[in-house]
Amino acid sequence: MMNIKRVISTIEKNYILSNLKKEERIDGRGLWQQRDWSVKSNVIASAEGSAEVSLGKTQVITGVKYDVGTPFPDLPNEGVCTFMAELLPLASPLFERGPPNEQSIELARVVDRGIRHADCVQTKKLCIKEKKAVYIIFVDIYVINYSGNLIDAGGISALTALISSQIPEGKWENEEVVWTGKYWKGDTLVNELPIVLTYGKIGDIIFLDPSLPEELVCDGRISISVTEDKITSIQKSGFATFSIEEIEMLSKKSIKFGKKIRKDLNLWQYKL
Amino acid sequence: MPLIIKDEYPEKLFRDDGKRLDGRDKDELRPIKMEVGVLENADGSAYLEWGNNKIYAAVYGPREVHPHHLAKPDRGILRVFYRMATFSVFERKRPAPGRREKEISMVISDCLKPVLFLELYPGTAFEVYINVLDADGGTRCACITVAALALADAGVPMRSLVTAVAVGKIDGELITDLSGIEDKAGEADLPCAITWFNEELSLLQFDGETDLEEFSKCLGLAKNAFSKIYEIQLDALKKKYIEIQEEYSRGEKK
Repeated sequence: MMNIKRVISTIEKNYILSNLKKEERIDGRGLWQQRDWSVKSNVIASAEGSAEVSLGKTQVITGVKYDVGTPFPDLPNEGVCTFMAELLPLASPLFERGPPNEQSIELARVVDRGIRHADCVQTKKLCIKEKKAVYIIFVDIYVINYSGNLIDAGGISALTALISSQIPEGKWENEEVVWTGKYWKGDTLVNELPIVLTYGKIGDIIFLDPSLPEELVCDGRISISVTEDKITSIQKSGFATFSIEEIEMLSKKSIKFGKKIRKDLNLWQYKL
Repeated sequence: MPLIIKDEYPEKLFRDDGKRLDGRDKDELRPIKMEVGVLENADGSAYLEWGNNKIYAAVYGPREVHPHHLAKPDRGILRVFYRMATFSVFERKRPAPGRREKEISMVISDCLKPVLFLELYPGTAFEVYINVLDADGGTRCACITVAALALADAGVPMRSLVTAVAVGKIDGELITDLSGIEDKAGEADLPCAITWFNEELSLLQFDGETDLEEFSKCLGLAKNAFSKIYEIQLDALKKKYIEIQEEYSRGEKK
């Protein structure tokens, strides 16, 4: 317990680095190997959709809630889907309570952009009456245990929560919204499944799915969201720099890994 | 704009066969499941499922106080942060802590203080983070119960555990452990907690209307429920160590 330090010793960093040079990781994985996934859906009874996802020891719970509001004036016939992430202090002594900080906003935004730019959430279907009433979908990600690479875990949990959700279907009648008695299910809300993959970089070595010690010592990270054959968003963070060749190599790998994760996790099984 | 499905309560809170809407008897508790040591990064932690309530609690401390001016030179302080997830309730809760959460945090902190030896830890803080991920009535009682377990799991010296339960009145009948609907549509709600070292109440809130006779009957109901929940708490605490013992005896750990 309390084994998380803000500063990792040079000797530990050198140990991680010398292992990586031999293409080994301190937890025994290969450079391009993710930790094990565990996905559960429908864990929160009060939420319209929910998922509990573990990536190794990193654990996040995501819930979907809806509201009915007026659309943005420039998109009068589109619903809204917003993402929020909260790094709970109980997940790690590194997280402090208070309003969202850079790290939690980055997590929410990277997950958001990966999903937004793919043809994933069908915002046009979330319109009840043009210019009057649209759905606002809230996808809220709560980090329960922090053990590195929140972005990948957050991405899968957001997708699973959306797929497993059922939202009451409304129609416009006599200037107000009434319930039709039916529900929108995950297959109406979601089309494509974008997968986000995060790589760490130390020196000139790049590896998939940084664990906590690796994340604390690495020079930088790059997160790439991919659909079946396209890239939808990239986020580089930290002070590492990446060459164009490296980014091309990672993009190719991401599409390959994305296909594998989509097949292995088979997220459509969580549709109600 | 209101939600598409509205949050409505039934007129009757008892079924025709005399049982409650969820099929319980008047003095029956909802199913309770507790586990300690669930979070690896905290000094102590516990997880509780109480009916549909799902709650994580974590304890850090004794550690430095931030901000410094809150530190007391003669004793440690206990800070409790009760927070509800946005998706834990019917209508999405705003992410920032509200007045209700702040009050409940304070009430929980006051309830737990009597069992701690804070005078032994001058200048430091114990921090208890409680996150309600799914709520269905009686969260403050569930939070006290799970926070006491997390403190014990962190190895914080305690005079005893604390156990809490809500009792109340619905449709004129006295009942134990109110669910979300019963809490909102019922007539009276009395959350209370017991500190076992002196068997006295350290949390007592009451909302509703009742005469003195019914009030003491309510406390009697609570007393019965306390012992049942206490057993589950003790089992959860012991279970962690029984598991470790078994791992050693099988030779998996040295």
